[in-house]
Amino acid sequence: MRNNPPPFFHRFFQWYCKPKLRDFIEGDLIEEYNERIRTFGKRKADFRFALDVIKLFRPGIIGRDKNFNRINNLAMLQNNFKIAFRNLQKNKVSSVINIFGLTTGIASCLLIMLFIQYELSFDKFQEKGNRIARVIMEYSFDGAPDSQKGNFTSTKVAPVFSRTFPEVERAVRISDLYTIVKHGEELITEKEFLHVDSSFFDLFHYELVKGSVGKAFHGINKLVLTESTAKRYFDSEDPIGKSLLIGTTSTPYEVVAVVKDYPTNSQIKFDFLGSFSSMGANQESTYYNANYTTYLLLRDEYALPTLQEKLHPFMEKESKGTGSHMRFFLERFSDIHIYSPYDAFVPNTSLGYMYIVGGVALLIIIIVCFTYVNLCTARSVERAKEVGIRKVSGAAKAQLFWQFIGESFVLCVLSLITSLAVVGAVLPFFNQLVGKQLTFDGLLNPAFLLGAFGVTITISFLAGAYPALILSGLQPAKVLKGVFRNTNSAKWVQQSLIVFQFAISILLIVATLVIQNQLYFIQHEKLGYDREHVVQLRINWDMPHDKAEVLKQELNAIPGVVSVSRCGNSPVRIISGYTMAKGWAENDEFMSVNANPTDTDFLKTTELELVTGSNFTIQDMKDAGVEDWEKKQYHFIINESACRKLGWTPEEAIGQKMFVNRPGYVRGVMKDFNFKSMHESIAPLVFFTETTGSVVLVKTTGTNIQETLDAAKEKWKTLVPERPFEFQFLDDSYNRLYESEQQLSQVMNVFAAIAIILATLGLFGLSSYMIQQRTKEIGIRKALGANLSSLLVALSGNFLRLVVIAILIACPIGYLAMKQWLNGFAYRIDLQWWIFLVSGLSALLIAAVTVSIHSIRASRANPVNSLRSE
Amino acid sequence: MKKYQLGEFEEIVMLTIGILYKEAYGVAIKKEIETRLSRDVSMGAMHTALVRLEDKGYIKSFDGEATEERAGRPRKYFQITALGKKAMTYTKETRDSLWKAVPKVVWELNGIFQ
Repeated sequence: MRNNPPPFFHRFFQWYCKPKLRDFIEGDLIEEYNERIRTFGKRKADFRFALDVIKLFRPGIIGRDKNFNRINNLAMLQNNFKIAFRNLQKNKVSSVINIFGLTTGIASCLLIMLFIQYELSFDKFQEKGNRIARVIMEYSFDGAPDSQKGNFTSTKVAPVFSRTFPEVERAVRISDLYTIVKHGEELITEKEFLHVDSSFFDLFHYELVKGSVGKAFHGINKLVLTESTAKRYFDSEDPIGKSLLIGTTSTPYEVVAVVKDYPTNSQIKFDFLGSFSSMGANQESTYYNANYTTYLLLRDEYALPTLQEKLHPFMEKESKGTGSHMRFFLERFSDIHIYSPYDAFVPNTSLGYMYIVGGVALLIIIIVCFTYVNLCTARSVERAKEVGIRKVSGAAKAQLFWQFIGESFVLCVLSLITSLAVVGAVLPFFNQLVGKQLTFDGLLNPAFLLGAFGVTITISFLAGAYPALILSGLQPAKVLKGVFRNTNSAKWVQQSLIVFQFAISILLIVATLVIQNQLYFIQHEKLGYDREHVVQLRINWDMPHDKAEVLKQELNAIPGVVSVSRCGNSPVRIISGYTMAKGWAENDEFMSVNANPTDTDFLKTTELELVTGSNFTIQDMKDAGVEDWEKKQYHFIINESACRKLGWTPEEAIGQKMFVNRPGYVRGVMKDFNFKSMHESIAPLVFFTETTGSVVLVKTTGTNIQETLDAAKEKWKTLVPERPFEFQFLDDSYNRLYESEQQLSQVMNVFAAIAIILATLGLFGLSSYMIQQRTKEIGIRKALGANLSSLLVALSGNFLRLVVIAILIACPIGYLAMKQWLNGFAYRIDLQWWIFLVSGLSALLIAAVTVSIHSIRASRANPVNSLRSE
Repeated sequence: MKKYQLGEFEEIVMLTIGILYKEAYGVAIKKEIETRLSRDVSMGAMHTALVRLEDKGYIKSFDGEATEERAGRPRKYFQITALGKKAMTYTKETRDSLWKAVPKVVWELNGIFQ
């Protein structure tokens, strides 16, 4: 009877023991074991066997024949590297294609990684970031279905919340308004001017350079500057205690401190901090008048949900009987930049945008990997003999596999080095493209380099694995016997990769074309108003009516000016919210509506068309201009949507009583026009006669615009000395509405171009190898009388078929994806068939040209040369 | 300066190999030590000693027959090499010289203090 020792320990011993010692120690063990069975019985023998195995687990016994292996590995490794470099040199074309491709791929990936890292790094430097919450307000009126929501709050929120809720430790109110600052004789509109409560410094990070921000910042007209701003205004002088003249009233603000410039990856951005009390806006009577952002410093990071729970019941009580509903929501400070739909003081990042850009980078990496895979498998024919010889000389499959992986690794590392240089070179352009301030420093930190290296290793593995498997699996007998051809499975893989590459490229072309068409559509759409040659100027909103009239007349007198109007907003973007009601009675139903104070010249200046009724009259302006609020009477011009909402036909509407801010009569009905972005459909809109407004629109003839502007500037200096002459063309501000789409379009342009170039390079390399393999075939065809064109068809047809398949795959996907994107616009182009036709044809054309370069060369070669040698 | 390194257990193993002469293989060596010195020898300790001795060149091995009892694994027989013999003699000589250097009185006086 044969007894077997416990299998687990037996196998364990076989696993760890040096191969050289294994047999005879094993023999000893088994001999002992058998003897023990005879003397002690099986159980005890089993136990002793296990004990012996465990006791044998010691340094002298464990191992894998180190001596022998170590030397061999080193030599092999050196040899592998040598072979890798020789191969790179030998196949210059494919090496260049691969390195170029990989460099582009890795560089794109690095740039995207930088971009994403930058976005994720936002606000991370704020020490109390996880204890800060931003207050979001939502309000609606009784009976009205729609509500308004945003990061606006009134000055009441901060004091009430910190008094009522123990969770709130401190609160800060922030107001950001463009503010005029006097620098010597010059007026400058400063865009990064925040008015903040002194608690700002309790919530947010700052580094003091000079002065102090404690008590010194209490009180009105105090100012904190950043270092660079201080340098801008005071040069090298010490600014502490000195004053700057702020605002149209030229109020002196005392500089109490200078702080370090704020990091760019912050949702809070400022050059100036003025004390909040200087604005004189502090009030606790209403939650409306919500023009400020409120941040709360909570007791600890877990207090946010508890506080949130208390807010709704509290506000329920507060807004009882006011005829409106008001609710407050809290947003965690550190989540705002990435997740919040409401911008902070710098625009938030859009997750969708990040996904698109990241996705495109991934697609490029895939294309690059596929190119590499294709070139390598195509070249396997060349290297088959090498593999055969190596195998005959005793190379194991695993060794060969790692050799080829090593080759792709060498290539990837070379590409990584070049791509770092490329990234450094193109970073400024990329910054422009995505509108960020990424720095090369971000690239050089160890974590990032480690990440980059990780990507490189992954790529070298992804791209190298398949060719390595194919090559290391070759049968030496077959390979060395004679002619070797690519295996069918390899061909199949190559072809599907080509299809995939081209499908991705076509997809990107489709996306680019659609985005550009939509942008063109937006930019050239007739909006119902004239935005060409219209210049927008800013005045004080409360400039007296008669003074404004003088300004208008003076500007109108300049040659080249067609008309001038004073209003609240330009027609490009009207978002100011009001409520309207049909009739004057108290109990009439209120609806929220966008409204805009305008004067008699607004329609003329913007060329908006009336459907029926008439323009405002000078008398209308006078009715609205009376000092006594109770006696003020408005007149209205409403758009068709408002007309429908109020339940009138345009003809009925004329002369009707209605209420917006003050009671008044409807004068006219204008055609619907787009006064927000094209993402939204047209909403009700009301123009009302009001004698205030901070915008002056100047319509010019468009000829000699510079002269006109110069003349206007001269008059401005005397008429509006308190403000700088700063103008903006309406079509510029219109285009600014679509900045993110324009950015997307540019990014897509670049990446689509890269993708198609890479795919083409891949096809170029692959076709050259494929055709090289067929030189004999071509020779025979030619010898039998084939002409050039039939040869071209024979050689290129196969590749073109693949591209056609790619088109068939890409078009439906592209259709669905772009349909989804276009759904984000209320006004959009149709997805027309020609977009797909153009994308497909261009891919086909590029493929045809690429392949035919090789085909033509091969077909023109003398058949004697290819057939002579066997 | 030590010319030859030979630990106590290693010396025992070598001596046993010498005793067994042509029959010195793993299990036999182990048994011989166990019976002669009446102490337990673990397979691990012995094999490490054998590996080390072979590395030092004091013993050499050759494969023997494979038996049913060993499930087909060959025996490995050990033999003392010339170097091994020198090492053993050297160890014995150093031992002896040390023995000789101990004054006789040590042995005699032992009784008094006991």
